[in-house]
Amino acid sequence: MKLDPSILARIQFAFTVSFHIIFPTMSIGLASFLAVTEALWLKTKKPVYLQIYKFWLNIFAMGFGIGVVTGIVLSFEFGLGFARFAQMAGPAIGPLIALEVLTAFFLEAGFLGIMLFGLHRVGPKLHFFATCMVAIGTLISASWILSANSWMQTPAGVAIQDGHVTVVSWLHVLVNPSWLHRLPHMLTAAYLTAAFMVAGVGAWYLLKGKHQQFARTTLGLGTAFAAVLIAGQVFIGDILYGTMLEHQPSKMQAAEGFWEKQSQSPAPYYWFIVPDQDNQRNRFELGIPYLGSIWLTHSLDGRVQGLKNTPRDLQPRMGMVFYAFRIMYALAMVMFAIGVASLWLRFRGKLFTSRWFLWILAFMTPSGIIATLAGWYVAETGRQPWVIYGVLKTVDAVSPVPARALLSTLIAFVCVYGVFITAFLVFAARIIRRGPAEASAHAEASGSVKNAFRPYVLDSPDRLANSPITQRS
Amino acid sequence: MNNNPLHRLGALAAALLGVLFFFAIVGVFGLRLAIAGLAVFVLGAVVLYVAFPTAGAES
Repeated sequence: MKLDPSILARIQFAFTVSFHIIFPTMSIGLASFLAVTEALWLKTKKPVYLQIYKFWLNIFAMGFGIGVVTGIVLSFEFGLGFARFAQMAGPAIGPLIALEVLTAFFLEAGFLGIMLFGLHRVGPKLHFFATCMVAIGTLISASWILSANSWMQTPAGVAIQDGHVTVVSWLHVLVNPSWLHRLPHMLTAAYLTAAFMVAGVGAWYLLKGKHQQFARTTLGLGTAFAAVLIAGQVFIGDILYGTMLEHQPSKMQAAEGFWEKQSQSPAPYYWFIVPDQDNQRNRFELGIPYLGSIWLTHSLDGRVQGLKNTPRDLQPRMGMVFYAFRIMYALAMVMFAIGVASLWLRFRGKLFTSRWFLWILAFMTPSGIIATLAGWYVAETGRQPWVIYGVLKTVDAVSPVPARALLSTLIAFVCVYGVFITAFLVFAARIIRRGPAEASAHAEASGSVKNAFRPYVLDSPDRLANSPITQRS
Repeated sequence: MNNNPLHRLGALAAALLGVLFFFAIVGVFGLRLAIAGLAVFVLGAVVLYVAFPTAGAES
């Protein structure tokens, strides 16, 4: 069997980046959630908020660690699998990734130690500052990475000279046409992921009749954030849809499942299709009449553009883009329905006692991660056959390395990442099964850095026993 | 599930209102109504949170 290096390079990058994105999504969302709960603890002095903080800090720390390790791999893969891309786009992409490390990762990593081990050493206020710095660091990190990826989607501010990118305007590289919409879309996705995770775990405890106060507070916070965030996300998503329709029409044509240059009028909204790319038609279609016109053209009889508007050799694979988009959109609708239901149940005073709702929340625990992954598949598979849209095709970006080198590293990645995900799931399940530890309303340290370095603080077994990490072990 | 018809009617009204908000926010009625719909939804949610707090709730 002859293996194609370009296919293997793409499979390898798709696998490693799909695995990676799970963890930053969680840590961006959880970092801000931790900052909110610590602020509530400082304001109200209710021990339950500290309990929530300590509980989610452990899961955040594990996710952060795996996110860092798997993120480093991606930079190396530019060389291993896509050297020609790195060669061409390095002058634009390289500085953005370097700046991400310098401005964001250093900030996060520097304050993470205080966040994990410092509560009883530096005092609550300084500790809260550290938590905020980590949360801000994750935001800055996401901004740089989204800027780099958005530049690949909608390149701007560069000139092509002798097959290389030369930056003419850094402002246009950074603030490229899709970045302003993709960044808030991704950040809101991360916050929604955290909101559904914490609400789901709270719902699980309520169903099992355990840790009542912790569960009620967590669920109350999670559903409150989820209801507001999903409304914002739906709005931002619609704005982003318009932007991508303008800059990458082929992606949105593939996402809607129509082939003809103009769809029938009124257009249905397809939920299930069996696309036949070779013959440029669907073998089977199932949709809701009129809804395509209403949602996509905002009229009762509008027509939707199909994929035949894009030349065949520049078309993405419809099936991948269509189903990734449908999964993301369907989950967004379910999340919106849950947000509305949570508001109604809160009004009725039945938020914690409606078992059907608690079961739905428990099942929706990983929904944010699935929706985010689906969204990224839309973005990346919809951009094909380009790696830098309109500038460099993916097949031309692959490294001149033998297929066996890519295959062996792909197998190695699958094995190592298998261990990572197993370890993460096992330890996360163990933390959830064990439940939150008791927490006092007050931290013990004075709040000064000087105090943190005093020998009695550093060496005291009592104080160490109260640290969030040692409490778990 | 509650058998009180008034509560069922309330749930149905809430569901229909939710659908209306969804359609408004995705821009079916134009950008201005999308922004207005989003603002009203978020404001309504915040008013509910203040009126019916659950944070730190005792069991």
